[in-house]
Amino acid sequence: MPDPVSQILQLVTSTYFLEIVVFPGLISIAILGAFFTWFERKLTARVQLRIGPSYSSPVGGILQGFADIIKLLFKELIIPEGADRFFFIMSPVTALIIGAALLGLIPFAPGVQIANVEVGLPAFLAIVTLSPTIVLLAGWSANSKFPFIGGLRALFQQTAYEIPLWLSALGVVMITGTLNLTGIVQFQQNNGWLILPQALGAVLFIVTSTAEMERLPFDLPEAESEIMMGWQAEYPGPLFMLVQGPAFIKLYAFAALFSTLYLGGYLGPAIIPPIVWFFLKTIVIIVAVMLFRSTFPRVRLDQLLRQGWTTLLTLSIVNIAIAYFVVVGLPAI
Amino acid sequence: MTDLTFLALATVTVASAILALEARDLVYGAAALGISFLGVAGLFFLLDASYTGVFQIAVYIGAVVVLILFTVMLVGPQLGEPPLELKRLSLLTALLVSLLLGTAGSLTSAAAFPGPDNCGAGCDLTRLSTTLINQYGVPLEFLSLVLAAAVIGALTLAKADRKG
Repeated sequence: MPDPVSQILQLVTSTYFLEIVVFPGLISIAILGAFFTWFERKLTARVQLRIGPSYSSPVGGILQGFADIIKLLFKELIIPEGADRFFFIMSPVTALIIGAALLGLIPFAPGVQIANVEVGLPAFLAIVTLSPTIVLLAGWSANSKFPFIGGLRALFQQTAYEIPLWLSALGVVMITGTLNLTGIVQFQQNNGWLILPQALGAVLFIVTSTAEMERLPFDLPEAESEIMMGWQAEYPGPLFMLVQGPAFIKLYAFAALFSTLYLGGYLGPAIIPPIVWFFLKTIVIIVAVMLFRSTFPRVRLDQLLRQGWTTLLTLSIVNIAIAYFVVVGLPAI
Repeated sequence: MTDLTFLALATVTVASAILALEARDLVYGAAALGISFLGVAGLFFLLDASYTGVFQIAVYIGAVVVLILFTVMLVGPQLGEPPLELKRLSLLTALLVSLLLGTAGSLTSAAAFPGPDNCGAGCDLTRLSTTLINQYGVPLEFLSLVLAAAVIGALTLAKADRKG
């Protein structure tokens, strides 16, 4: 007869619980989020020949992210007059849930995956499509000019990148013949990394996913210099933290998805454990996306829409043709 | 366990569908519609039709609800209160639809769906795609008109507002 204490202990030490709460779940997400905020600021500063955060640290202001979290948590929670309280508070919470749900689908190492869904890849992309809706609701609920403009921009932006994003991932599905993310990694174990046959698809994927993450050069819904953080403008301290959190979680999740799809996920020579391989690849992608921010100017909305519906769409259809020839073989001429 | 999940999902789906119709504020109505769609997607997952479930989320919430929200926000809340006659009519419609569905449900037997021919969790993608394109090509194309209908509806509503 197991007593309640040992039952609770059993639950707390079970793999499933640890995966959700510690790694790759919530605690690791929070720590990595704080770390990435510092890392991005430091990296951008270095590119622009500044020093960046340097005080709160053992080394190079590395604890800046945690200091920011503590600061934001102790700010007053002000909800603007005339705002729709329900959506104003629930939107950041939902955005955080969406971000965390994405990481549940990623295979971090053999067996280290919260949910090995049969349709992992479209599930990831489908969960992602919810976030512009949340942004629109958040922008609308603040009952203020800039947030609403930001929300509408998020929506316009979605129409530009959504279809190329799905189509560029379709190339991988055609070659591997599976929608399961673990299956895609296992395919690459036998056939080499997909970045070689799908180079165009990889470029398209990273461009469209940068647009999805609302990061420079596609950060139109936030655009500090035009509409002052857009849909996030009215959020007070603690909620602002909840709004910023998903942005970094999505960066992490998309980088992880990119390395799963194109860079062989956790595969690599056995000298280093798979999980370290996975993080090495993911961090390379994260650094690349962060460098976009410090090197590219922001595009205009009409440019993004036009390029999305012409160049990106055409190229992603070309990419599907490439995937077709990879599967079927080149025609004899 | 499955029954409990089904009941919870069904409750969420039906309750939010009612809320979608009855909400004073159209934005709340649209959001409730999204939650209702999410419940339907959950029912698909429960039926092992995860592929359909995922696309239910992507198309209906990711595109249709967004278009509805977009229109509602552009048109404004003054159209939000439907006249009373419409409400009575909708009650009658609900009664009729549930009657029809109930009759159909009671007439349907297990024989209508012969064999375990559905594409379950272990089903491979190739077979699903072949079946979709070869057998259900035309219905599939018609289904894809849903998005076109949503876009046209959104455009019409937004344009009607601009005239007035």
